[in-house]
Amino acid sequence: MKSNTASKIKTFTKNNQIGMALIISAVLFLATIILNPKSLNPVAFGSILSLTSMLLIAAAGQTLVIISDGIDMSVGATMSMTALITVAVMQGKDSIGLMFAAMAACLVVGAVIGLCNGIGAVRAGLPPMVVTLYISNIVTRLQYVFTGGTPEYTSVPDWFRKLITTRLFGFFPTIVFFAVAFLVVVFFLLSRTRYGQQLTLTGNNNRAAFLTGIKTTKVKMLNYTIAGMLGGLAGFIGAGNSGFIKCGTYDSMTMDSIVAVVIGGTLLSGGKGSYVGTAAGALLLIILSNGLAVLQVSDSMKNLIMGVVLIILLTAYNRAKPVRQ
Amino acid sequence: MLEMTGISKNFDAVKALNNASLEVKAGEIMALLGSNGSGKSTMVKVLSGLVNPTAGTIKIDGKTVQIRSGADARRNGVAVAYQDLSLVPQMSVVDNIALGAEPSGKVGMVDRKKALETAEFYLKKLKIDVEPDALVQFLMPSTQSMVEIAKALALKPKILILDEATASLHSDEVDTVFEVLQELKAQGVAIIIVTHRMSEIFRVCDRCTILKGGETVASGNIKDMDLDEIVFHMTGKKPDHSAGAGQHLEHTNKEEDLLLDVKGLSLPPKLDSVDFRAYRGEVVGIGGLDGQGQADFIRALLADQKPSSGTIVYKGREVHYHSPADAIADDMGFISGDRARESIFPIRSVAENIFAGSAAKGKLFAPLMPKTVNDFAQKAMDDYGIVAGSKAHPASSLSGGNQQKLVVGRWIALSPALLLLDDPTKGVDIHSRHEIHEILKKCLEDGMSVIYVSSDNEELLEISDRIYVFYEGKISAQLVGADRTEEKLVAAMLGLSENTAKGEA
Repeated sequence: MKSNTASKIKTFTKNNQIGMALIISAVLFLATIILNPKSLNPVAFGSILSLTSMLLIAAAGQTLVIISDGIDMSVGATMSMTALITVAVMQGKDSIGLMFAAMAACLVVGAVIGLCNGIGAVRAGLPPMVVTLYISNIVTRLQYVFTGGTPEYTSVPDWFRKLITTRLFGFFPTIVFFAVAFLVVVFFLLSRTRYGQQLTLTGNNNRAAFLTGIKTTKVKMLNYTIAGMLGGLAGFIGAGNSGFIKCGTYDSMTMDSIVAVVIGGTLLSGGKGSYVGTAAGALLLIILSNGLAVLQVSDSMKNLIMGVVLIILLTAYNRAKPVRQ
Repeated sequence: MLEMTGISKNFDAVKALNNASLEVKAGEIMALLGSNGSGKSTMVKVLSGLVNPTAGTIKIDGKTVQIRSGADARRNGVAVAYQDLSLVPQMSVVDNIALGAEPSGKVGMVDRKKALETAEFYLKKLKIDVEPDALVQFLMPSTQSMVEIAKALALKPKILILDEATASLHSDEVDTVFEVLQELKAQGVAIIIVTHRMSEIFRVCDRCTILKGGETVASGNIKDMDLDEIVFHMTGKKPDHSAGAGQHLEHTNKEEDLLLDVKGLSLPPKLDSVDFRAYRGEVVGIGGLDGQGQADFIRALLADQKPSSGTIVYKGREVHYHSPADAIADDMGFISGDRARESIFPIRSVAENIFAGSAAKGKLFAPLMPKTVNDFAQKAMDDYGIVAGSKAHPASSLSGGNQQKLVVGRWIALSPALLLLDDPTKGVDIHSRHEIHEILKKCLEDGMSVIYVSSDNEELLEISDRIYVFYEGKISAQLVGADRTEEKLVAAMLGLSENTAKGEA
């Protein structure tokens, strides 16, 4: 009986990464509360929701790209760039028109960055890791070129900030609504369209997809572009979510988004994954980070512990299964 | 010099070698012969350390040796020149020749001067006209093969194996290689040649060993054997030389039923001016030894490879596809024998694998519900009797035969006008093979045309209305009606048919 239960647990951890991520999140959250009961308050709870939502939004494009057997190292730079663009376009003014202009600019800039990623990683066939890292570098440098390092505007107008950061009932941040919108759109795209199906098949076996009649180059290029646009939009929302925008505000989102995607059960080798999983992964990452902060662990120690825990989680359930010949 | 006895190798349930043996003396040129799937490639791989045998002993100079890796083989004086080259394309000729046996100079650095001297010596010996610093990827295919041979010679082997290494060489190059082989033979090197060119065997070999179905079925002096006898041992049939390529063949197909008309299709060095026709509702078989251009022909039709010249007329108009997607949009379907690489999506579900061909067609962003995928898969499974476990399980959980049935189901459900199959039943169990044939027969009644490449002669004769036989990138014979006998097929496979035989034998 015992071994039977053990094997059942083993199968569960292997096949149900989303469930695992949620269970681990809950355990960590409880542990945090037990170790420091003061940490259970509406403000802390609201900030977990807010941070998770922001990370989920940032990881939308990353989920799509990793499923297609690529990787996007430029998400952070794209978000930092479009956040800067948003504050620059809105100029602190009280204008809905300028807000939509900023949003359009973010989408266009994101699409251009994504297209560049696609040309390098798909059309030119260079390693995605290298191409997107270089593009990321260029985007980061461009921020300094345009702003001279000190942007004229450093925050969006208050009404726009409130649109994203207001805490309903004292704990529920409005950014959650944006995250839910992302969740619906990306879920539909990935799981309810021919595009998502083609993307997944291509990610699983590119050669087979090509010989089955899928235009793999086109689908993957388009995917990088869409991912870029989602990143641009994430920067737009991020501009409202932070009180102070400078060059490189969201650079850390690149690594965090990859970790959230992978913890959520998306295979780094492509072909399998879900955005719902990414949500669970983002939650786990934020709760872990929050717990360590609550326990007043030093920053270096916090990063070290996070690193170790993440490596354990990744090896635990992101090994590709062998193919039966 | 070399004694291999009782060699067996199993790949899962398939016995590639079953108690096979091979004996080569010093100063002897041995031909290792066998038809498709006879195990001769596996035998070479056992000797070169690429495959570890399940059982058996290898003795070199009377001592039992273990060859578990390429380095072991090298240490024991075994060198192999392969057809599918073992050269590194991005490295220079001299670096390739020195690769793995770099002469060491001062403080453990590579002695480049000595490496260059060695390379130049062997290039000269084999009369290869090439700059030692040239990158291999920019050389002609035949020159690359020569460099491959030079690389093997540079190891100063006691046992030299040429595994179809002469396949892409020009005749003057073959002459040079054979001269060098005679020289090595005089020096007491044991040489093993694997080739599909019967004429070469009679020209240089002293003895031959013939494998069939993984067993050694015959060996003897070439002088005491004639061609028919060798072919009989290889295939179990006496060759019938009367099948010809150029003959005008009467067939019952009507011109208006012509679906595919290929003229002068070339894809150097794989295909040379292939003329090919397929009519509606027929199964056109393609036979031949492995690697004679069949796979390349199929992929050229599908626009996966771009032919250098020739025309393809399909459905009455000349087509120029840019990618397989275009060909598939034009009602073609493709089933590969290399499932793992070319057709299965291992971690996707059974249902998605069946739906894949349909997923490739239609509007990208239109809604696609899981129910649509499942219903499509269920219908295909019901209609064509594909029993393949649960629809939700990943395709990798199925056996090879069931995986192939999924792929067949994927295409059949789209009812293409022309279905291309490249050795689809390779490594598939008898039962599944039979089921796949039954499914195809059903579809033929609906007017579908099938082009069926098979490495299995019995299967080819059973399923095809008409058979084209490929030999060295050309069609060596077309077998129609009463001409479809295994004897004639075997002769054509070995390039022994009247027309081609004249030039070679």
